[in-house]
Amino acid sequence: MKNTIRFVLDGKIREVDFSKYPELKPTTTVLNYLRSFPEHKGVKEGCAEGDCGACTIVIAEIGENEKLVYKTLDSCLVFLPMIHGKQLITVENLAITENNEKSLHLVQQLLVETNGSQCGYCTPGIVMSLFGIYKNHQNPTKEIIEDALTGNLCRCTGYQPIIEAAQKACVNNCEDHFSKSEKEVVELLKKINSNTETITIKNKSQKYFKPFSISEALRLRNENPNAIIINGSTDIALRQTKKNEFFAEILDLSGVSELKNIKVENNSIVFGAGITIEQVRNYSIEKFPALNKILNVFGSLQIRNIATIGGNVGSASPIGDTLPVLFAYCAKIKLQSENSERIIAIEDFIIGYRQADIKNDELITEVIIPKQDKTGVVNSYKISKRKDMDISTVSSAFKLKLSGESVSEILLAFGGMAAVTKRAKETEKLLIGKKWNRENVETAMKILEKEFTPLSDARSEAEFRSTAAKNLLLKFYLETKQN
Amino acid sequence: MSDQIHHNSAISHVTGESVYINDMLMSSQLLFGKVVFSKYAHAKIKKINIKKALKVKGVHAVIIAKNIPGENQMGPVIHDEPCLAEKVVTFVGQAIALIAAENKDALLQAEKLIEIEYETLDAILDIETSIAKNNILAPQRKIERGNVDLALKNSPHTFKGELKTNGQEHWYLETQTALAVPGEGKEIMVHASSQNPTETQAIVAEVLGISKNEVEVEVKRMGGGFGGKETQGNHVAAWAALLANATKRPVKIHLFRDDDQIMTGKRHRCLSKYEIGFDEAGKILAYKVEINTDAGAAFDLSMAILERAMLHADSSYFIPDVQIIGRAWKTNLPSNTAYRGFGGPQGMAVIENLIDMIARYLKKDSAEIRLLNFYNIDKNNFTPYGQKIDSNRLFVMYDQLIKSSEYSKRRNEIDKFNNENEFVKRGMAITPVKFGISFTTSFLNQAGALVNIYTDGTVLVNHGGTEMGQGLHTKMLQVASVELGISPDRIKVNATNTSKVPNTSPTAASSGSDINGMAVKNATDIIKSRLVEVVISEFERLYPNNKSLNENIVFENNFIFDKLYPQNKISFNEIIKTAYIKQVSLSSTGYYKTPGIYFDRDKGQGNPFYYFSYGMSVSEVEIDSLTGQYKLLRSDILNDVGNSINEGIDIGQVEGAFIQGVGWVTTEELKWDKTGNLTTHSPDTYKIPTVNDIPKDFRVELLKNAPNSGTILKSKAVGEPPFMLAFSVWLAIKDAISAVGNHTIEPDFTLPATYEVILLSSEKIRNKLKVK
Ligand SMILES: Cc1cc2nc3c(=O)[nH]c(=O)nc-3n(C[C@H](O)[C@H](O)[C@H](O)COP(=O)(O)OP(=O)(O)OC[C@H]3O[C@@H](n4cnc5c(N)ncnc54)[C@H](O)[C@@H]3O)c2cc1C
Ligand code: FES
Ligand code: FES
Repeated sequence: MKNTIRFVLDGKIREVDFSKYPELKPTTTVLNYLRSFPEHKGVKEGCAEGDCGACTIVIAEIGENEKLVYKTLDSCLVFLPMIHGKQLITVENLAITENNEKSLHLVQQLLVETNGSQCGYCTPGIVMSLFGIYKNHQNPTKEIIEDALTGNLCRCTGYQPIIEAAQKACVNNCEDHFSKSEKEVVELLKKINSNTETITIKNKSQKYFKPFSISEALRLRNENPNAIIINGSTDIALRQTKKNEFFAEILDLSGVSELKNIKVENNSIVFGAGITIEQVRNYSIEKFPALNKILNVFGSLQIRNIATIGGNVGSASPIGDTLPVLFAYCAKIKLQSENSERIIAIEDFIIGYRQADIKNDELITEVIIPKQDKTGVVNSYKISKRKDMDISTVSSAFKLKLSGESVSEILLAFGGMAAVTKRAKETEKLLIGKKWNRENVETAMKILEKEFTPLSDARSEAEFRSTAAKNLLLKFYLETKQN
Repeated sequence: MSDQIHHNSAISHVTGESVYINDMLMSSQLLFGKVVFSKYAHAKIKKINIKKALKVKGVHAVIIAKNIPGENQMGPVIHDEPCLAEKVVTFVGQAIALIAAENKDALLQAEKLIEIEYETLDAILDIETSIAKNNILAPQRKIERGNVDLALKNSPHTFKGELKTNGQEHWYLETQTALAVPGEGKEIMVHASSQNPTETQAIVAEVLGISKNEVEVEVKRMGGGFGGKETQGNHVAAWAALLANATKRPVKIHLFRDDDQIMTGKRHRCLSKYEIGFDEAGKILAYKVEINTDAGAAFDLSMAILERAMLHADSSYFIPDVQIIGRAWKTNLPSNTAYRGFGGPQGMAVIENLIDMIARYLKKDSAEIRLLNFYNIDKNNFTPYGQKIDSNRLFVMYDQLIKSSEYSKRRNEIDKFNNENEFVKRGMAITPVKFGISFTTSFLNQAGALVNIYTDGTVLVNHGGTEMGQGLHTKMLQVASVELGISPDRIKVNATNTSKVPNTSPTAASSGSDINGMAVKNATDIIKSRLVEVVISEFERLYPNNKSLNENIVFENNFIFDKLYPQNKISFNEIIKTAYIKQVSLSSTGYYKTPGIYFDRDKGQGNPFYYFSYGMSVSEVEIDSLTGQYKLLRSDILNDVGNSINEGIDIGQVEGAFIQGVGWVTTEELKWDKTGNLTTHSPDTYKIPTVNDIPKDFRVELLKNAPNSGTILKSKAVGEPPFMLAFSVWLAIKDAISAVGNHTIEPDFTLPATYEVILLSSEKIRNKLKVK
């Protein structure tokens, strides 16, 4: 398909032909697109960087058993073609007007009744997050509610009435007018998705490719080696919204369903690169608890719903939260090009500050984590200025195996302590073969403190980082003793 | 009063229909404005070249200082703030040029093409340097009682030291925004996100060189203000007006989040130096404090803010001999400005921390020391500035809260927990608030209103206050409803507009409903007195046997009746129609000024406040002393709002203010680099509380049966005071750190108590213990 994308909005298929609207670019965000219509100005921009949630929208897509799956997203970080084939739900769609009478959606009604809005600027976003909870949970726990709202900043209310509204709204069932029209929407979406021809959008200065299969993606990668790859775009979009960077060529992998599988192979779990962080989080609760733990404090639900594991390793950030844990689990990355593929250890994959070993015809297709035996422990930690919805100042993941009382295997990986995710190899060396006791750990802490020379920046001073890093080892030790 | 009435915009908030300036629908003629600002903290501007920028397709105007038709200034109190810097820039973020263009791409392109040549100068970037260079903003202020030096000398125990409190970014969800629409001739209409439309009007008139009657400023609603739009909302309004004037087109400026954080002023950070004397019991005998504030590059409201900091240096405590000195220092940072509490929090933090230190030193519970030092009911009840504390509610509230929070029981549990846990520690604190209500600049304590009744019996209320989420319009609607005796659904409160109610004061100092409520009441009283005449003549006609007297006429439930002859009754709608036919005016202005307040700034004495609002809170936290992370386990709050006009709204104010305070004392950290660039200039690094940062157990109550005399519907102001309840969280964290050293070592402590403070302070205590 040339220049055209289609999605469902306001109950109808909306077709956007970019060639007809010169003011629209393929990199126009969903937020700016919506706000260009008088009837969709409810959605707000509070930060344009995924931190405030004022721009929260809900996307519905076809899931298992032809049921719609509803997800909240920050529309400020989503490029318009990324919602092709999905239903876009905005705050204006929630209330319905019948016979000139407006009836509010239950979540709206309860937000009114609990006095959950003051200045009202955050409110449309909050309403959408509440709607997301409403569609996904019956009788949600306070933890579920809070987790779903961490990505919505409100400077006025102190949040208490918003939590109350969620608790009261989501008690019985998730029925509403969206449930009634679910079948129709599914049909519309099926119609759109039946066409799997690559979408190519071209204008004077930009090219945007949205393939639907790995083979197409690899072909486009080969033909357009300079195109920026996006998956969830939560990293990439910031470069546009915050730094006004211009993207001439984009290869959008968000439509490739082959990248969205989780497979169980003999000795490993294989995550497709397009698996979202939220999916990894839910999948890893029992299998990879240290991964689950760190993902519980990864961004917000709006971010985790779209950010991918492939994007997280692909950005090779020193504060990428999956990296230390993937080090500790000895994960591997699968890279494919049109005519080759290779699998390399995550530690070899990260080669420099925000630099990964990806050749210019390759894509990350899988993140492979070996199944863990019960003989060792892996734990992870994230320290940030604010508990939630914050980037790591220091993060770490540790793996320990004992034989008897002595350390037979140890891996200490840190994020935020150097330009790349890095192991404390001196400290590891010191501990190996030693008794796993407090005295040895405290000696190791002294080495650890010296092993890194972290930066001072907006998040913290270097002294904090060094102190926290060494203390994390002690914390890990104490926790191994507790269990 | 009814607590069933929700915010009058609640429904449009939740449906997304509420209109903010950035949502206003405009024709294709609308242009977008952009502010080009200084990249240097202090520099000479040697040359500006805008020629290339002007040639960019879609650009309609580029304005620099010399293009300003009127006066190049926008300082609210003192004219020391250029609207656009001309020869010198004094902070990073100072506006130098303005661009109007048809779209964002053109704006960006033009911005890149504006050439500015600077010659950098030495910059002063902190209070210490400013003090060293004697860069004072204005002569120091002093409030004094007794002989503090002598009293210090005679005190059995003394402390001397200093406390730093950092600033705070307002982080209103709606960044600074304005839309200016040129009219006929010189006329201009400005939609502003401003807490002070009257001043916005004045500044727009001044920069355009036109008279005030040519300028109409309207404020429908703000997406949050918190003080940040008291003066600095004027700036974008003036810039938009300049561009609209130059292009003769509507121009909108909506600041990008990072630009807003970089360009605008914040809560004043402070460096306070203190000496305090106390006895064995913990009674404060003498207190000497010097509050040094960072004013930033210009005057703004810094002296008034400093004054309020000084007026709250006593917090809730009686101090026999006391000296409070205030100095505001100029630095090369954006001019700091009003922020909820207006200096009060900075003044109170010092003594609240000192009480904590005294308690630790004397090995007592800080709650006990606070109680011991509260202002008394019948003696020791004069503030350092000579105002008598009437209707003191501290003791009642203390007793109630200590009980309801089970303070003593939990204190024991915390001690037990701390003995059992090596690194995870818990702490708790109770702190009071006594906050003076009124503008300390006495003449500002006036307000106006305009009430119109239309012939269908519906009512339109206009008043001078602005709506920023605090529910002021809702309360005003309730006041009109009570006074006119008609149901709220017949009343509408409209956008604040300088053409309807002129010469108003800012919506600030928590005084919005106090003064505007009285002005609305004054207007309804006037209309009612006219209506009563009509009612009486109607009653005479309808019920000739019962003679009605003016004072017996009651307005209630959409009817008007005689309380002696309740069957003599007429509907509100009917009387309105009759009044119109009888040529009686159905519209009136209202006016109010707060009685009996004055303050002599030179002497530091007077009655600056009409009354005090009280509050108290107990908070319990848990820290991980290995990582510096903390959890807020529980907060109990008791707040005094007099008779609440609207409980839902008042509780919302209390909770919201408290959580904003929690942000200030914990995670919100302003940091600058060595050249004066703000490094925490976006929500990525500047961390306001999320839903997970509120207390896990959060119990908020309003003090019952506590009418306030002499105020609208016997209510009290609520906007700012609860902000300072957050000191309970701050000092609970300190209590937890102190537990690392079993309360034998005074922890290093500042405000905010970030994870960095918690960790490094705990580590220091651990190292000291090792040495011991
Ligand atoms: C508000 C906010 C909060 C955040 N919080 C966290 C956090 O707590 N922890 C954390 O670690 N990160 C966080 N991030 C960063 C970001 O969300 C994550 O790194 C995320 O996993 C990126 O995934 P994505 O799919 O969105 O990546 P994208 O932005 O689409 O891509 C990221 C990078 O990976 C490359 N890439 C993506 N997919 C492939 C592929 N298949 N093959 C080759 N290269 C590929 C891209 O070219 C790009 O360089 C946050 C971001 C935001 C905006
Ligand atoms: S605008 Fe703040 S998250 Fe999108
Ligand atoms: S209601 Fe104002 S930010 Fe939430």
